[in-house]
Order: sequence, then C-alpha cells, then structure tokens
Amino acid sequence: MGLARRIAIVGVGETRYERRATRDLASLRCEASRAALADAGLAAAAVDGLIVPGSGYAELHELARDLGMRGQFHAASCFHSGTAVVAAPLEAALAIEGGLAHTVLCCQGVAWGSERRGNVGQPHAEMRMKAAFEIPFGWYPQVVHFAGMARRHMELYGTTEAQLGAVAVACRRHAALHDNAILATEPLELDGYLASPYLAEPFRSADCCLVNDGAGAFVMTSLERARELRADPVVVLGVGCGVVPDGEYSSLREDYLATAAVHSAPRAFAMAGIEPADVDFVALYDNFTALVIQQLEDMGFCARGEGGPFVEGGRIELGGALPVNPSGGQLAQAFVFSVNHVVETVRQLRGDAGARQVADAEVGVVTGYTGAQHATLVLGRG
Amino acid sequence: MSGVADVAERHLPDPAWSVARPFWEGCRAGELRIPRCDRCGRWVWYPAPLCPDCGGEHHVWTATAGRATLFTWVTVRRAFLPGYRAPYVTALVALAEDPRVRLATFLRDIPTRGLRAGMPVELLFETVSEHLTLPAFRCVG
Ligand SMILES: [Zn+2]
Repeated sequence: MGLARRIAIVGVGETRYERRATRDLASLRCEASRAALADAGLAAAAVDGLIVPGSGYAELHELARDLGMRGQFHAASCFHSGTAVVAAPLEAALAIEGGLAHTVLCCQGVAWGSERRGNVGQPHAEMRMKAAFEIPFGWYPQVVHFAGMARRHMELYGTTEAQLGAVAVACRRHAALHDNAILATEPLELDGYLASPYLAEPFRSADCCLVNDGAGAFVMTSLERARELRADPVVVLGVGCGVVPDGEYSSLREDYLATAAVHSAPRAFAMAGIEPADVDFVALYDNFTALVIQQLEDMGFCARGEGGPFVEGGRIELGGALPVNPSGGQLAQAFVFSVNHVVETVRQLRGDAGARQVADAEVGVVTGYTGAQHATLVLGRG
Repeated sequence: MSGVADVAERHLPDPAWSVARPFWEGCRAGELRIPRCDRCGRWVWYPAPLCPDCGGEHHVWTATAGRATLFTWVTVRRAFLPGYRAPYVTALVALAEDPRVRLATFLRDIPTRGLRAGMPVELLFETVSEHLTLPAFRCVG
C-alpha cells in the first residue's frame, strides 16, 4: 500500500510559548487544537482520529470532550514524545487509507516550565537500570548523556565547540525573526556563545533546549478532501520511523553516535522519491546542538564526521544552502517535542513565514527523536 | 568531587534489588563482576534475562580485571544532582574484556594534560557505607 501523497496537513495551530504559562496543559492543548481546526476551517465534530503523544487515558478523553467531539474516534499512538509527533502523519495515513478515520488531529504540548520546575530528568530516574548503574555515577540527566555524545564526536572527528555554537547561533538568529519565540529578544553571536560558561562540558546553556509551557497541533485528512478545504494544503510526501536496535540505553549502543535517523530518513526519502539534495530546508529535533549535527550526518546531508564543518559559514542559516530550524527550533523558539517544527514547516511551504521565509520552499523535512526512536517527515507544497 | 560526606543526599543504588544484587556484592568483595553467558561466553550488560547473542538464560557473575579505556566523558560544571559538588567528571569506560561493556563512572586522578578517548583507566572502589561500595575509575599512565 503506497502512502506517499495520500494525505495532507490542512490546519496548524500553536499557543503562545512561554517560560511559564498561567494555564494548565489541558487548556494549552485545547487552545492549540482549536487554532489548528480553525486554520483548517473545520469544526471539532469533523475530527474522528486523535493522536495526543504523551497523554494518559484521562488527558486523551478530556481533550476530546473539551474540543466538543461527540462522535466515535480512532485513537492512534505508537512511538513516544518527539518521535510520535513526527510519525503522526504515518499513523494518520494508515488510519485514513484503512477507513478508520477521515480527519486526524495531532496535538502535543508540555507544561514542564510550570510543572517540573526544570526537573526534566525525572522519567529517566524512574528507569531501573539507569537508577542502578548510571545516576549513582553522575551519568544523568539528559544534558550529560548528550554532552557525552558530543565529546565522543569531537574526539573522533575533530568537531569543535565553535561548530556546536554555529547551531545555537543559527537557531537564535531565526528566533529573532519570529513573534512567538521565547528567545526572540535575546540575541546570541558566536563570540558571546564561546564566552559563556559551561554547564556540562562541552555544552553551555545555549546548547540546550528551552524548558517551557506551550502546545501545538495539526490536522490531517485525505489529499482529495484537503484540496476541497483549501488552495494550499501541505502534502505528506513521505514519512518513516526507525529504532536503534540495541535499545534505550545510549551509554551502551554499539554505534554510540548513530540516531535511528539512519533508518527513518532513507525510508521517508524513498517514500517521497527524493534525495537529500532535493530538500529546501529542515526542521530537526534539537534537544541539544550536537544532535542536530548527528542527524545531518545520519540523514545523508553530509557524511559521518563531516557535520561540524557542514554547519559552519552560515550554511544552515536562512539564506544558506540548507536552512535548519527556521522557527528558532527548540533551542530558541520553544521545546514542544517538534510540534513547532511541523507547524513551521507547513507555514514555510504555504509561503506564510514572513521574514523567516525560505525562498522558493517546495520540500521541507521535519524530524522527531526519542532516545532509540526517530521519525522523518517529508512535506511538500500542495 | 563528590565526597563521602555527601552520601546522605546522593542518589544511591538499592543494593538489595535482586537483578543487581550480585554486582554490589562483588563490589563489597573488591571485585567488579559482570554477568557472562555460560553457553557462549558473551558478557551481558546491563543484566538481561536472555543473552543477546545466543539466547542463553544462564549468566554467571564473573570477575573482571578492572582494566578499561576512556570512551567519553563530561565535566559537569553545575551539579544536577543533590549531594555532588561541581565540578566533577563523569565518564563511560569500555572494559578490556569486551569494549561493548561500558560502565558509567566517576573519573578520578584527572591528568593535568587533559583527557583523551582511548586513555587507559583502572578500577578502584569507594566505600559508601557498610552495605554499599561503588566502583570508580582513575586515569593511569
Ligand atoms: Zn550467549
């Protein structure tokens, strides 16, 4: 069953992104979902499929109730957090082609700024092997895991701190062009980056994603129906998922630096019938700067070990050969498990990105990541 | 570096958890013991019900020589955990018996010339309480 070019994204929505919102996560999800439905010109009653990654049973049904859904709906979920958001079009395409649903809403939000007060490592502390063999030895939280990968990359390939900084600076410059980016008014240049203190060497705070509140959502339906709803639907050209086969513990992966993008990207590109050279811009899951470099390599935009030089010289900035994370991403706009990347990619492909617009954008790629999991989504102008 | 005085606040392993108990018993006896498949000899780390190579179910906690190489490391400048005083160096080291076995560890005796992946490191033990001894590694040579 071919799933390429069968569905489209017809609506996107976001809340304001804030360090701490005055509302709870349920109301943030509801607002983002309503905005996405309004953008699609659809009523909640039209939704018969829901993907709400990370939600529990109660949260799923509360969102359906709060939106005003009264009919039957199909609930799909497979992967986790960022991977689940970017894999949602695959789930939606399967459901729509299989006759389980016509219109699928995906919503993702976080309230870590309010709820966790920065203690984002808690889920890891609850994993028994990490609790026994990693945390007692200081190998915790996530910033340490990813700083360890960055250090190994530097040791093997000569990647430099200035190259990590190039990712942080690109995202910050892009965020400055966005009216809904948390760090829009906090500029960063490379000398300032290099002068800032280390957090977990080689990472500084600018290498780390934001901890904030906010939500985003998008609505998917069949391409035929999408063309009836709007003149500029954004088409799902390809989508692929992958997993690292040797498991959750990054400390033990045989290929320590490979993300599951080595599996998800070729699948998504093959489905779309494209190659990396056909991509106009990318919105890569950016929990830490180094993961952007790792993904550029794993997805074939450059060879293993060449990601450092690749991000230098403005290549990944707006106006460069491959703009990366034009919204400012999770390093500078907001951390919402890549749903902001989906929203931004749709706006870019509609030509609605204002000062951030990538010229002649026809093909954009979004990624989501969750430890051993990865998803790649190829979107195209309708 | 973290000190023994900090222990009350530190996140410490539960030495009674059945899956890991032989590891902590080994540390108290002065040995770094890792489970090894008694059918094919594969070191099975972390402890798992089945050997990833042959599916064998019987794994024998086996003493290692305590020699390893530095795989990667992080110098933590702001303590993320209670009970630690930054800076400290936390690392992954690859065991000589099978470099696929990596252990997270605090790294001691950091040389002034700095660290490099592949440097030799050796095992030591740090007593936390009468019930718990933790392994650590120090730079050598
Ligand atoms: Zn075996």
